[in-house]
Amino acid sequence: MIRPAPLSSGWATQIRGGWLAAGIGLLLLFPLSYPDAYLLDVLTTGFLLAAFAASWDVVGGIAGQVTLGHALPFGAATYACALLTRLAGWPFPLAAAAAVLLATAAGAGVGQLASPLSGPFVAVLTLALAEAAHEIAAGHAFLSGPGGYAWGGEGGIPVVLPWGDAPPIASYYAALAFLCLSTWGILRFSRSESGLVLRAVAGSPLTAQASGVPIGRFRRLAFIVGSAFAGAAGAGYAAHVGRATAGDLSLELSFQAATFAAVGGRGTVVGPVVAALALHALFQGLSLPPAARVLLYAGTLLVTLRFFPGGVAGTAREVAARLRSRDRNRGGRRRRGGEAPPGGSA
Amino acid sequence: MSPLPQVLLDGLVAGGAYALMAAGMSLILGVVKVVNLSHGAFFTLGAYVAYAMADRGIGGPVAVPLAAAIAFAFGVFLGKSFINPARSHPFALPVGTLACALLFEQAAQLAWGPHPLAVDGGAPWPGPFGVVVRRWGAVAFLASAAILGALRILLVCRPGLPLKLVAEDEEIASSVGIDVEAVRYLTFGGACAMAAAAGALLAPAGAITPTMGRGPLVLSLIVVIVAGMDSVGATFLLSIALGVLGNACAYYLSPQWSYVALLCSVALLLSARPTGIVAVPGRRD
Amino acid sequence: MTALLAATGIGKSFDGTRVLDGVTLSIAPGETVGLFGPNGSGKTTLANVLSGLLLPDEGSIAFEGRYVTRLPLDARYRLGMARTFQIPHPYPSLTVHEAVRVALAAAVPRPTGGGRDEGIEEILSRSGLFDQRFVPCASLSQGCLRRLEFARALACRPKLLILDELFSALSAADEEDLLALLRAANREGGAAYLLISHNRMLLSSTCRRILYLEEGRIARERTV
Repeated sequence: MIRPAPLSSGWATQIRGGWLAAGIGLLLLFPLSYPDAYLLDVLTTGFLLAAFAASWDVVGGIAGQVTLGHALPFGAATYACALLTRLAGWPFPLAAAAAVLLATAAGAGVGQLASPLSGPFVAVLTLALAEAAHEIAAGHAFLSGPGGYAWGGEGGIPVVLPWGDAPPIASYYAALAFLCLSTWGILRFSRSESGLVLRAVAGSPLTAQASGVPIGRFRRLAFIVGSAFAGAAGAGYAAHVGRATAGDLSLELSFQAATFAAVGGRGTVVGPVVAALALHALFQGLSLPPAARVLLYAGTLLVTLRFFPGGVAGTAREVAARLRSRDRNRGGRRRRGGEAPPGGSA
Repeated sequence: MSPLPQVLLDGLVAGGAYALMAAGMSLILGVVKVVNLSHGAFFTLGAYVAYAMADRGIGGPVAVPLAAAIAFAFGVFLGKSFINPARSHPFALPVGTLACALLFEQAAQLAWGPHPLAVDGGAPWPGPFGVVVRRWGAVAFLASAAILGALRILLVCRPGLPLKLVAEDEEIASSVGIDVEAVRYLTFGGACAMAAAAGALLAPAGAITPTMGRGPLVLSLIVVIVAGMDSVGATFLLSIALGVLGNACAYYLSPQWSYVALLCSVALLLSARPTGIVAVPGRRD
Repeated sequence: MTALLAATGIGKSFDGTRVLDGVTLSIAPGETVGLFGPNGSGKTTLANVLSGLLLPDEGSIAFEGRYVTRLPLDARYRLGMARTFQIPHPYPSLTVHEAVRVALAAAVPRPTGGGRDEGIEEILSRSGLFDQRFVPCASLSQGCLRRLEFARALACRPKLLILDELFSALSAADEEDLLALLRAANREGGAAYLLISHNRMLLSSTCRRILYLEEGRIARERTV
């Protein structure tokens, strides 16, 4: 009897894994080539943005709850870092831990409100909540510190960092390590049984519910996990930039995450990370005004959606399946009578 | 002298124009079955067209139809080339229409700069109780009411029949020989033209900025969620109520508070009645 | 002996139209019941109400003596009441193996004894899908999709299966296979079932008792 090979084995995965290792190796090597400080800074920010994009993918990709307010947990974390170190005098590591907790709690709240909704209404709800937070942070009246001058508003609030000005190369490696760690964590989650159930909920909520899955609880879980990772990325960003600004809560940032995910393939985790690094480095390297950059992001997204309305990942999966079936037809004859490796592909 | 009557009157005028925009939004939701997050951008487009025309000394009677025509052209393009092919994909639509909105916001910022611009509305007429009646305001309110009245008549008469049929059942509509695709993108274009007309009519009301459309977008969302698609009258009254409230909020607190209040209300509404909202098909279940 | 499922006075209206009008029925453990009715008689609505997809406007439902009237679909599945859909909605990105794993994970959160994979493979081979286990659900044939619906229902070790038009629009061979699976689930697994169909012949050959639904009421009852 010929047994078809499980999906996770095969040449596609092997090649992908190899490319990933090579990419990480290159990124580790890069600072040793005496690069421009600006380029190093662009990549450091890129790593944090990529981690943020991966956290978006938990909610919008794996769980299929298209959020347009993912900047909310990110910005909540940067503001928590700034306020706790500056006003309450907490040491940064403690403030960062509290910030991640706060972002997780924010995610739990948003998830609670969003879990009965579906489709575009999730997008509208998350967008509204994040925009409200952005307006409050951008308003001058809301956050002003002692000493008579306002800290809130567009200028933002500075973060007190114990190490002062870190050498760029240290920030670079720290951010890269953080990106690898959080991508690994999100991948672990994605391949766990919870991740599988979330994919089922995203694919067909009705069938999932008829299979005994409490879909509301799992959607909430996706918001909680995604927001926790977004909060961690926010704390990292606060440490790198040294300031929490209203831009950390902006619609543009949420939108950027959705763009990275759409371009890289929603639900693949690694795809959004690679897309974030590539697009950020490319557009930042062009040294354009910020408005033109958002313009480019929006244009890229529209082109992607126009030609892959079902998602880059879906199209890639179809192509891979076609290639694999051809591969298997050839390999199957060779392997006749042999036993394929057992086990699942989750 | 209390500023209250003036605040209420200005709110009434703004609400009338918002009703025009919200009616367009509910047309799109009903006929195309799409939540159009780029609706606010068309409002902004209308305001910038009015500004550019006023800058050249041309007034509202030309600027408003021109704005509507430009928006109609863009709307048809968007509807035909993006909305129709992407309609059945739950991810592509909200994100894609938001991308259009951001694209336009940034383009406007590159073209006209981020600073607020203003359109001179002409000398107002003095009214009773120290209230001034702005000439453009009276025109805006009457024009919005007239267009909405026409829309209402259209929806119950013969020429509006394809719209109603497509809204209710697309299969039946196409089986009686209606070009469903064409109805969809023409409706989309028409609704965008309504938003742009509202923006052009309200251009003298305040500062024109690239992101000025976000508030009216959220307001339209609230109106659509509460009033539903069928009733033009309910849309009109609710928009006026929200326009008055928003204006009062902006005057007594700050414009930012008015926007935050709108955002919080839409979040509350969605979480209070998650199933009571107009169902948006696409992929069912 | 208490009934497995007891529904009393179920009423449901849509937009003022009364679709179900005081339906009362009970199913004993292991019993095989058919539900027959013309199109528009409320069969699918009744299946939706019994399985928890819709809330009834009036009436109550008890499962093993416990009131489940307001319990949602997923909670009833975990109690052992599974249903299949007339039109399957397969997961677009999951394989057959993974689809069964989702159901098993919900029904048995922490497997003891035999691991998860053994459970999945047993269900897959029982429903004749073992050879297709690594095929994406979306590329299955109509007959295999129905089997998958059935496999998904089996994962909770059901005490009651609510089968909405499980056999409609299938080839004769597929129908035969699926019937054998259903009989085995009833005989060996002890699952009662409520089979909804507009095919009288099929119902008389598979069910002990047939209920006739007409205009939202149970008009007649016949024991085969």
